[in-house]
Amino acid sequence: MNESTQFDAVRQARRITEQAVSWYIEQQEPLSERQRAAFLGWLRASPRHVAEYFAVVRMHGDVKAAAALQKLTAEELVEKARRDNPVVMFPHLEKVLPEERHPQPVRGRFTRYVLAGAASVAAIALGWLGIAQWRATQVPVAPVYARHYEATGAMQSLALADGTLIQLDRHSSIDVHFDRHYRRIEVQRGHALFDVGKDPARPMLVDVGGHILQDIGTVFDVKRAASGDTLTVISGRVRVLDAQPATAKGGGLLLPGAAIADLTAGQQIELDAGGATPVQPVQIAQATAWLPAEISFQHETIATVARRFNAYTSTPLDIDDGAIAQKRISGVFHADNPQAFVAYLSSLPGVRIIHDAQRIRVVAAPQTDTKAAQL
Amino acid sequence: MREKHAAWSALFAEKRATLSNYFLRRVAHRWDAQDLVQEVYLRLLRIEPADAANIRSPEAYLFTVAANLVKEHAVLRAQQPLGSDELEQVVEQLVAPTNLEADMDSEARQQRLGALIERLSPKCKAVLIMHYRDELSYREIAERMSISTNMVKKYIVKGLAACRQRMAEYE
Repeated sequence: MNESTQFDAVRQARRITEQAVSWYIEQQEPLSERQRAAFLGWLRASPRHVAEYFAVVRMHGDVKAAAALQKLTAEELVEKARRDNPVVMFPHLEKVLPEERHPQPVRGRFTRYVLAGAASVAAIALGWLGIAQWRATQVPVAPVYARHYEATGAMQSLALADGTLIQLDRHSSIDVHFDRHYRRIEVQRGHALFDVGKDPARPMLVDVGGHILQDIGTVFDVKRAASGDTLTVISGRVRVLDAQPATAKGGGLLLPGAAIADLTAGQQIELDAGGATPVQPVQIAQATAWLPAEISFQHETIATVARRFNAYTSTPLDIDDGAIAQKRISGVFHADNPQAFVAYLSSLPGVRIIHDAQRIRVVAAPQTDTKAAQL
Repeated sequence: MREKHAAWSALFAEKRATLSNYFLRRVAHRWDAQDLVQEVYLRLLRIEPADAANIRSPEAYLFTVAANLVKEHAVLRAQQPLGSDELEQVVEQLVAPTNLEADMDSEARQQRLGALIERLSPKCKAVLIMHYRDELSYREIAERMSISTNMVKKYIVKGLAACRQRMAEYE
């Protein structure tokens, strides 16, 4: 058996197992007529299906007893699962200090790190203008990007290359530094609201004087003041980590250390050099009072406008339908009244609104549904 | 057969886990089990399309067929001349020298399965334990984990499939 057919065989075995388990689990509810026919058809398709089904049933008989061996409580398991960050962070950290852990054999990896480091330093030196050029000579990987933003007289709205949107208050400044492994933003002073773009390969780390906020797909607000720093999570989750001084090789950047707190929507924490206050519930409207009171848009996509509303609410709007998301609209709404915007969306043809506990979903309405609703 | 099957379906709906375990213990012997699978499969193929539509629970049907075959097999064995059992055992050991799975007692199997559950991703593990140990419903688990009930089901399927794949590696 050569390598590829062996690989195919393993994959096929896995598929049969998954089908057998799915069918077994489906039987917990009475099957519909169509499901019954499909299940019988599946069993009759191959003796391997029959054998695997028996094997799954047999194993299932032991699952309850095996699960009872688990020592952790349900709460502990849920907490562990919650901390199981889908963003892989620590393998990247390992690359930062490879020569200490693996003295000799990983020469290739070490060289790669040095190259990557040199590349990002070069990119900073070249700055914004040089990036297009630099990228053209590289393998197309995640773009390296470094820039300083400062809002003086007026509030600024920024849109970064990774899809992150930032509202920067007056007299505020941030430093943006994206490389292959991380997206880092340092809040130097003032007040900023982040709506973080999705990039599973590169976690977003926001550095707030001695503390690092790790975002897990979310909107949050950071306020720096002489009395201390305040973090408010509008939607999603944020983890606060202690920052560790980096080694010289880390390029002077702070490294994420131990987790201090995990915040979810509607929670706030105050941070200063001495540590952090306990996590407290907060009124979103209070935390976002500094944001513009009106959201006005001219010929912008519904997806963009929805994200602007999401900065003000812990039940975000999700535009599930691609065609609706790309539709362009114009208007002015009160920022604290996303319901008016939802009502407006629901008046558009072919749009249906679904209210979930945690979000408001905007989906395409089937044509017949629309007709039925009109009748 | 059909009348018997209807009764079986009802019984099965009620005592599914107990009954399927009962049969599978009976066919735990791998030599028999493989033959049995082939035979069950052939019988499934022989179902007339008209009859297939009337099968109320294909799973119950599956085990009914298996049960009948086990019974027939037992009758056949009883009628065989003395000494054939020993011969069969010798042949079996030649064919399947690593018969660990069949010999392993249930406690060891459960230990092994417990270790496999331990190796699952934290989310899969949490969902499986809460469902099977703490007997929480999909909805209750969904609330605790802040995920949809559909995702709970997916984690259960994924976790059980991973365990089954790794158990199969031992066989």
